[in-house]
Amino acid sequence: MISRRALEIAAAALTGLFGVVVIVSSIDNGIGWSSAGVDAGTFPFLTGIIIVLGSLYNMGQGAIGRGTLAMVRTAITPSELRRLAGLFVPAAIFVAVIPMVGMYLASAGYVFAVLALPKRQSVLRALVIAAATPLALYVVFERMFQVSLPHGALAAAFGF
Amino acid sequence: MENLQSLLHGFTIAVTVPHLTLMVIGVLLGILVGVLPGLGAPNGVSLLLPLTFGMQPVSAIILLSSMYWGALFGGSVTSILFNIPGEPSSVATTFDGYPMARDGRPTTALATAFGSAAFGALVGVVLITFLASWVAQVALAFGPPEYFAVYFLAFASFVGMGGAAPIKTVVALAIGFAIAAIGIDTVSGSVRLTMGIDELVKGVSFVVAVMGLFGIGELLIAVEEEFQARAVSSRVDWKEVFRALGRLPQHGIALLRSAAIGCWMGITPGGPTAASFMSYGIAKRFSRNGAHFGTGEAEGIVAPETADHAAGTSALLPMLSLGIPGSATAAVMMGGLMIWGLNPGPMLFVDQKDFVWGLIASMYVGNIVAVALVLLTVPVFAALMRIPFAVIAPLIVIICVVGAYSVSNSFLDVVLMLGFGVVGYLFKKLHYPLAPLVLAIVIGDKAEDAFRQAMLMSKGSLGIFFANRLVTTLVLAGMALLLLPLALQIVRLLRKPEEAADEKVRTI
Repeated sequence: MISRRALEIAAAALTGLFGVVVIVSSIDNGIGWSSAGVDAGTFPFLTGIIIVLGSLYNMGQGAIGRGTLAMVRTAITPSELRRLAGLFVPAAIFVAVIPMVGMYLASAGYVFAVLALPKRQSVLRALVIAAATPLALYVVFERMFQVSLPHGALAAAFGF
Repeated sequence: MENLQSLLHGFTIAVTVPHLTLMVIGVLLGILVGVLPGLGAPNGVSLLLPLTFGMQPVSAIILLSSMYWGALFGGSVTSILFNIPGEPSSVATTFDGYPMARDGRPTTALATAFGSAAFGALVGVVLITFLASWVAQVALAFGPPEYFAVYFLAFASFVGMGGAAPIKTVVALAIGFAIAAIGIDTVSGSVRLTMGIDELVKGVSFVVAVMGLFGIGELLIAVEEEFQARAVSSRVDWKEVFRALGRLPQHGIALLRSAAIGCWMGITPGGPTAASFMSYGIAKRFSRNGAHFGTGEAEGIVAPETADHAAGTSALLPMLSLGIPGSATAAVMMGGLMIWGLNPGPMLFVDQKDFVWGLIASMYVGNIVAVALVLLTVPVFAALMRIPFAVIAPLIVIICVVGAYSVSNSFLDVVLMLGFGVVGYLFKKLHYPLAPLVLAIVIGDKAEDAFRQAMLMSKGSLGIFFANRLVTTLVLAGMALLLLPLALQIVRLLRKPEEAADEKVRTI
């Protein structure tokens, strides 16, 4: 179980970290005023400062449990977390294998795995949807709109 | 009068067979993304964007804006029939729309919603017809300081009126600015904020951000809530449609008030979502039947729907005449304008008359097309909702992945999109607003340029933002909006605690 308090603090830490990164890398670009006008790093530097300050405030509010949703104690229950992972983990794996096997194979495999393995759909139905997906992608993108999708290292090895 | 002439000219552009076909396609695709949970207007429009690069700008904007109208209508269909808002802006429609449909009056609920939506949209378009070119004319005299002041006002109004926690809005805005700054700086040519990743030199496309924030993020929210469709009957009884439309004038005051709220929230970037909630809240407080709200009261459908569509439509006014989009979807369309090589802002009304008036005329026609199509296709799209979510979810993931990739054929964009998805989920979950984030990504560069040019003019003195009456007024109005939440907080502390709790519920 993830409490709302922990989630608020984590999100504020994440935005704050981003703010610090922005500040550090914009200092490299130079901040302040020079002969050419406002230096390139100035504007990002200021936004970085705002992000960090705002994140600290949000973190404080989250920690002491104030704000618009203060009465909600639990943010994510274990079963919700399982469902979230059930959607996100396969999606991340799908994205990770695209450079290797290409968009078409990856999407077919992804659809089949998500539908057939948890027995949400019959294997036959999952196969049909898994075959139809890359076909539809091919027709719409490669044929109708002439957008080439990644074919992957595997296809390249076979000479496509 | 000149406006009417231009409008008539616009109609000759909009009402042609190819453009009417595009409208039908756009509206149907729009209803589709509006109906499907996890796909909404902003990422529907950004998905379609890469496919419009080869089109004439006027055809492309007609396709995209029609999709927007379709999505606004589609979101109401699922709100009423399934109690599931297909779009964030149609959440308020579920309050009375679903109870009415459940009580055996789905047609009445749908027709009331579409009728008032069409009225709201009409008011929005009429406003654009008569006001946009005038605003543009005023804005032609703007220099960089005035522009920066207008941007500042736009961002401040998010903080002051967006409804989300003010500091969360500020953080979301600032993150958007930082993301907009990634890549090559247009003024000095130096590379900024790439964090050691060379490929980031090209910057982060707003399309990628929208796809992740709205697409994957909303999908994660939907799967977490264990999405289940429990539909009421979706058969449309045509006689009842006309009877319900005939009853609309009874709610004349609610219609006008809601349209006014919607237009105001659309022009100042409060957005359709805030507009529909505000309109519902106000209608509840002032209506004679206020106590019955939530049980299927017609006025409880009229108020949010009218405001939603009025806001959605009038959000295009500042986009066209000032280059400041009034909603997340308008921001995406404006990004499209820049990609097509047009410069959003007052010069459009001088250089691109055909584009501007073709679009405005198409808004009249497109909304009529949308009302007709949505009524005809309600049963079809309602049937679509019976497809299990487990099947739809992976397909939406694939659509988002392909959409992100097709922006610039880059795998990094796909990874970024997935990252934005996690951020979108977290932000939605914790009520950080997403619209200002997207808006800042799209116009962050322009705001920064305006600021730096103003600084060059004044040789580094901030006094230029108080140099004349116009710019001073804009800056002071912006500051007032920024401080508004603080002032409200103080007022709230002085009032009774129950009222404060009531206020909280309304902002959620």
